[in-house]
Amino acid sequence: MERRNFLSLVGMSAVALTVAPAAVSATDWRADKPDVWHAHTVEDAIQAMYGSTTLIEEGVKLTAPDVAANGGAIPVDFATTVDAKTIAVFQDANPEAAVMVIDINEFSVPQYSIKIKMGKSGTITIVAEGKDGKLYAAKKTLEVALGGCEG
Amino acid sequence: MGIKVKAKLKNGVVSVKSLAKHDMTTYNMMEKKTGNREDANFITHLTASVNGKVVLDASTSQFISKNPIVKFKFKGDFKKGDKVEMNWIDRKGNKDSGKGKIK
Repeated sequence: MERRNFLSLVGMSAVALTVAPAAVSATDWRADKPDVWHAHTVEDAIQAMYGSTTLIEEGVKLTAPDVAANGGAIPVDFATTVDAKTIAVFQDANPEAAVMVIDINEFSVPQYSIKIKMGKSGTITIVAEGKDGKLYAAKKTLEVALGGCEG
Repeated sequence: MGIKVKAKLKNGVVSVKSLAKHDMTTYNMMEKKTGNREDANFITHLTASVNGKVVLDASTSQFISKNPIVKFKFKGDFKKGDKVEMNWIDRKGNKDSGKGKIK
């Protein structure tokens, strides 16, 4: 075999190897549902993600400060007891609403802590998509003393 | 660079604390800074796996804070010494990864 052919074969198999694991397991919600990430309101983002905006406010726990001194890093803890497929974070203080969408699988213990940016005071909404097809949610309104991210 | 990963097994549940290095710039931030919204760059997908099994699968936006700290938990047939491997990719296609042993 010529060296050139051999190298191109090696190159192709390397690509196949690196691509395969991601394709098998992970869900890229940004690629699958791009409208979610462009939506300007929480309602539009939830509609784009789940096809409904009917939220049942139970089964989801959300902890965030009443007043955030620094809007650039607001601690947000969230969890659900719902048998859920996904859990997502939205807020209404920035130009777009979506912050994060997490897939839940058989290994997940759905309790998360993250830090988010909010340009001004507003409301955080966590939505857990139940396997029963219903949307469970928790909301928290907080005051942001110093806007963190200029949107 | 590299993602810092700390993982601890207790009562059958592994708790992970991860720290990624990223500026996480927003569209508006970059519009002010460079005049071009498209210069915005942030982590768009963060994953963790152990022994080839996905234990975290998160799609993210520009509103996760700079140098994101993400804490999450998982359970399953995992033991101390197994490695939690994390990866992110950003809007510009850059990638980074890191590993941490379950303690």
